[in-house]
Amino acid sequence: MGKILLSTLFALSVSTSMGFAASPWTGGDDLPTNPLACDATPSKAEAKPYDGGQPTNPPDRKGKTIKVVDVPKIVGIGYFNATSKGIAEAAKEMGNMDAKTDGPSKANIDDQITLIDNYITSGVDGILFAANDPVAIAPVLKKALAAGIDVVGYDANSEPDARQWFVNQAEFNGIAKAAVDSMAEEIGDDGAFAIVTSTFTTPNQARWISEMQAYQEKCHPGMKWLETVEAQEDNILSFNQSNTLINKYGDDLKGIFGMTSVATPAAAEAVTQANKCGSVAVVGLATPNAMKPYVASDCVKSVVLWNPVDLGYAAAYVLRAVADGTLEPGNTSVKAGKLGELQVINGSEILLGSPTVFTKDNINDFDF
Amino acid sequence: MTVRSIFRHETFLALLLVVALVVLSFQSDRFFTTANLLNQGRLMTETGLIAIAMTLVIATGGIDLSVGSILGLTAILVGVFWKSLGLPLPAAILAALASGTLAGFGNGIIVTRFGVPPLIATLATLALYRGLAEGISEARSVRGYPDWFYGLGQGEVLDVPTQLWLLLAAAATGAVILGYTRWGRAIYAIGANEVAARFSGLSVEKTKIALYTASGFASALAAVIFVSRVSTTRSDMGTGIELDAITAVVLGGTSIFGGRGTVLGTVLGLCLIQALKNGLSLAGVKGDGTTMLIGVVLILAILASNLFERGGTR
Repeated sequence: MGKILLSTLFALSVSTSMGFAASPWTGGDDLPTNPLACDATPSKAEAKPYDGGQPTNPPDRKGKTIKVVDVPKIVGIGYFNATSKGIAEAAKEMGNMDAKTDGPSKANIDDQITLIDNYITSGVDGILFAANDPVAIAPVLKKALAAGIDVVGYDANSEPDARQWFVNQAEFNGIAKAAVDSMAEEIGDDGAFAIVTSTFTTPNQARWISEMQAYQEKCHPGMKWLETVEAQEDNILSFNQSNTLINKYGDDLKGIFGMTSVATPAAAEAVTQANKCGSVAVVGLATPNAMKPYVASDCVKSVVLWNPVDLGYAAAYVLRAVADGTLEPGNTSVKAGKLGELQVINGSEILLGSPTVFTKDNINDFDF
Repeated sequence: MTVRSIFRHETFLALLLVVALVVLSFQSDRFFTTANLLNQGRLMTETGLIAIAMTLVIATGGIDLSVGSILGLTAILVGVFWKSLGLPLPAAILAALASGTLAGFGNGIIVTRFGVPPLIATLATLALYRGLAEGISEARSVRGYPDWFYGLGQGEVLDVPTQLWLLLAAAATGAVILGYTRWGRAIYAIGANEVAARFSGLSVEKTKIALYTASGFASALAAVIFVSRVSTTRSDMGTGIELDAITAVVLGGTSIFGGRGTVLGTVLGLCLIQALKNGLSLAGVKGDGTTMLIGVVLILAILASNLFERGGTR
């Protein structure tokens, strides 16, 4: 009896993992994609009505000092240290925002939800968040809106009606184009590559992968996708996964995409340790500080990212504008301190700008 | 003597809880309000259900590390049965609950029939069930459940969160079984001395299988509540919840070697941890500080109860 059960379970797990291996296209989401043109023709923005939520009976916060909590996906990693730095910078500049950062120590949906729930009870005026899951975080954010709290997202979105505005660091198809184009330039139009991502359901990464797939099929159809692997946002796991990819595919593997600021340096380290610099290219999203050694040793040519300090800075200004009532549904732009006017896109999102590309020439000018 | 020392540990824990509640309510005026306390009850239900079943498992000298993975597997199955197989949602929930219970039964079979130590058996199924969850889900999350389903995890019955009633019912059932039935005495007997229990004619295997099955069912129930609370299914749900549950059980005075422990102690331990997490957060302490403090409280509580126990038995 027990043996039958065990072997059934074993057969099941094998069959599912086979099904798994048959499709390397995992990691994307099911939403429609919108790949950019293969040359540099800019896409036309479509006007869309405001689709964010509204707080219920918020008190008049115009010009008053507001208490704000910033809840990133996870604390203690370079990327979100940089966004909190930007938020603190903006708060100091404005003088009437009391901001602090508190987030889960694991990128875990439940911890993040509980944390936000506690801050709703403690009575903050505003919440800045970067979602670990767009749907799971929605009920608690709606609860915040119902309590009259202003809610603004940055970095990773929630369902639109669960927050007021979302500061979008870069459009997904733009990042996808930049990443796939740099990879094609390094490994050629017929190279094979693999992807190291966080988890398959993390909103940003899933969106990028979907857009990368669409763009690659459209503009670089000869390139071959080997596999997409999950590595949480964990340093050691990312290194091990990259190492496994290098060993598994051998000379077939020409490039690795790192989809998170943790995966990219880990992939570069794995390539360096395997003495594959030059034969396996690493392209990805990462913070400059983590990539400096690999860029300096020529193992990595270019790193794509927006400036996370600016992202946090913009999010804080957007929240202030919402609290002051100067940013309302229907507006087409918002003032964000030193960043100037930022455009509203997709109904209720604010676009930070075009991504920054860090190369050997400029990487030492950035410190985050 | 044992009865008295158990009583002592729970009294000590209750005192500690009262002290914590009083101190924390001075730290923040938002802490000791009905709304906040009920909300905390909502948040601790999933861990609570698992911890109650875990109390019984640990009282036999066993342990179930696979609960978080069973939670993840059941959550995924709710979505798969409903969306992919097209079952009506109530039927999908029942089928998923049955699968989670079966996963627990599997643990029981491995532990009893193959004589694998529970720690190793459930460590293996922790990986197996999580792998199944990730494989079956193919990394897609299932969303868009009908509104009535959210009543379970986000709604209220008689002004109390729906799932809190379930937790109370589970706690009462667990406490009665462990404290007042022949069955409960069999559990203590197995935990205290398995060989003696077997020679006394107790059905050791059947009891153990039933307990691991119950643990699977509790995890499955927690999964359904969790899905309803966060309105989506993901294969990484419940990661690490086994440690939260075991912490509550051990803080509640259940001996990890078996033979000793009560459901009341577990519930007190659970409330103390939740009160600390919430109260400290409201008082402005950040997450990492809270985790550290819970570690310290756990060590102190165990040390104190050991002191009491020594004083009582000598």
